[in-house]
Amino acid sequence: MRLDDYIEMEADEAADRRRLVEEKSYAILDELEEFQHRFDEVVQDDAIVGSVSPSIFVGRSNYPNVSTGILSPVGHEDDAARFETSAAWYDEGVSIDDVFQRRTSLLNSNQPTSVELGRDTNVHDAWNGFVGTQREVAISDRPVSVEIGLDGAPELDFDVSRTDVATPTGPRARARSATLGENPHVPKAVKKTLEDDDWQAQGAMNYLYRRGFDVYDINSILSAGALGQAETRRLVPTRWSITAVDDTVGQYLRGTIRDAPSVDTVQVWRNEYLGNAFWVVLAPGRWEFELVEMKAPGSIWNPDGEKLWLSSDCEGFEGRTSYVDETAGAYYASRLAVLEHLSDIGRQAKALVLRHVSDDYWGPVGVWQIREAIRHAFDDAHGEAETFGDAVREVTTQLPVSLSDLRRKSTMVSGLQANLTDFI
Amino acid sequence: MFKAIVSASTLRDALDSVSVLVEECKIRLNEDELAIRAVDPANVGMVDLSLEAAAFESYEADGGVIGVNLSRLEDIAGMANSGDLIQLELNEETRKLHIQIEGLSYTLALIDPDSIRQEPDIPDLDLPAEIVLEGNQMDRGIKAADMVSDHIRLRVDEEAEAFYIEAEGDTDDVDLKLTREDLIDFTSGPADSLFSLDYLKDMNKAIPSDAEVTIELGAEFPVKLHYEFGEGMGHVTYMLAPRIQSD
Repeated sequence: MRLDDYIEMEADEAADRRRLVEEKSYAILDELEEFQHRFDEVVQDDAIVGSVSPSIFVGRSNYPNVSTGILSPVGHEDDAARFETSAAWYDEGVSIDDVFQRRTSLLNSNQPTSVELGRDTNVHDAWNGFVGTQREVAISDRPVSVEIGLDGAPELDFDVSRTDVATPTGPRARARSATLGENPHVPKAVKKTLEDDDWQAQGAMNYLYRRGFDVYDINSILSAGALGQAETRRLVPTRWSITAVDDTVGQYLRGTIRDAPSVDTVQVWRNEYLGNAFWVVLAPGRWEFELVEMKAPGSIWNPDGEKLWLSSDCEGFEGRTSYVDETAGAYYASRLAVLEHLSDIGRQAKALVLRHVSDDYWGPVGVWQIREAIRHAFDDAHGEAETFGDAVREVTTQLPVSLSDLRRKSTMVSGLQANLTDFI
Repeated sequence: MFKAIVSASTLRDALDSVSVLVEECKIRLNEDELAIRAVDPANVGMVDLSLEAAAFESYEADGGVIGVNLSRLEDIAGMANSGDLIQLELNEETRKLHIQIEGLSYTLALIDPDSIRQEPDIPDLDLPAEIVLEGNQMDRGIKAADMVSDHIRLRVDEEAEAFYIEAEGDTDDVDLKLTREDLIDFTSGPADSLFSLDYLKDMNKAIPSDAEVTIELGAEFPVKLHYEFGEGMGHVTYMLAPRIQSD
């Protein structure tokens, strides 16, 4: 399905996209109407919705009193798994409008709750009620059949503003109750992290990662408060938990290459997906990482700009001590993808990631897009250069930025960190 | 055997200069001086410190080596007022350091020196330019550079007979020019290198603002910074590897 199948595009597409952001509509109103029809068909008189739920969502506004919800693709129960964000979306080659369509097809049945669920009942012990059901959905490795008692009709509301551009979400409805329609299937390793309430969250996350769980699975388990030490378990807003998992697993992977030999050539890897182009330049030396983002005017992140918007963050051999300033979750997602590759080949490197967001990227789909595009950048052939400088010069010819502007913005382009043993 | 009495401020100055780079270090208790040499885990910054026996009120040692957790030791030293004397004594049997400050006594568990990173070899560098300036002049340049960038360029203009501290940010630039007249001493030579501000800022933190700092500089070579503390009887040399420009 193409976007213009269900909306009429104005002649001036760029202006139209800006207007869409302005109105928070994301051009999916038709899609939402469709949802309304589907919803009316399946909803029962007593407002009990039976559906199959692939995932959960924990909001972050008003933290620590958040809204926590179960997501269900009402009317699309047969292929519910398709609606959960995962690495498979890249393989499937979903488009921006596919993403929006899937996200907005998910009914978010939610309840307001404290992330700690009050003093007496810790998340840790909350097995009953709404949060308990929600957690079962999160830890199950396949969609779970649920029955949700709704308190009124869904609202078509968008959790998006120009200062806080987020992936659009579907309709939301306040839930009175939620019960499981089946015994969820929970993998053994997940049971282990769930049951061991003396295990620090970071360790449990890395354990799951090593056991073959992708960051998407770990993210929803963390989000539901289903791992970590008992007294610190709590619901984690979805957006924060994505970054927390990318960062934690990234640190683990960085540890695996700490004493590894370096790559021995300068390599350039490239990939392009959903209007985003990525270049990864790997150079010999000890670990160092930088993400430089170039956002074209007219892209979702720079809708009104006339100039390219540049942002960057970097880390040295020992990593960062503070959260990034400019590149947010994109930093941790891209770093994870690069570290996975390096850990696979058992090498360390100096890694520069350049991301060009073109004006074809008209709506934000989430950082999974960055993670998967960079993971897959390493699938294909790569170019080689004599020096890091040569590689950057060559890549710059394909970028909407001059080498001197890039040097001003990028720590690594202005100079790579040498170490003292180079001079002995 | 190790037994010494030292002023709190001298001990703190010594510890501070090392703790900006590492969390643990070996302390060599030589007969005539206490010496520390350490490199950060990334192998980018190094410190070489010596504190002469004469800097102590009393000093007895026979060449042993101890391993310490620096922040622990700094915390203890922080319990003293700057005029106070700190008494240190090593118990060889328990491998613990007994510390006494004005009636307060603290027994510090030591770390096995073999478990601490090996002390680095010092690169033997012959750097062409030497700049001697006051700690506060350098501090001013580093502070200004930090406002615009995360790296800093130190260079000598041989024709202009001047030393420059420069930084290029996304949009803004900083440039501190110090001529021969502004400097305490100046040996001109071809020198131009880029450094990470993270490291230089940390090193700068440990340098007293009234200290005389000697900068030895080359072209894309490590920089050496020397200064003294403890009335000239403590000596610190920092060495910092450059960021190598890509063109």
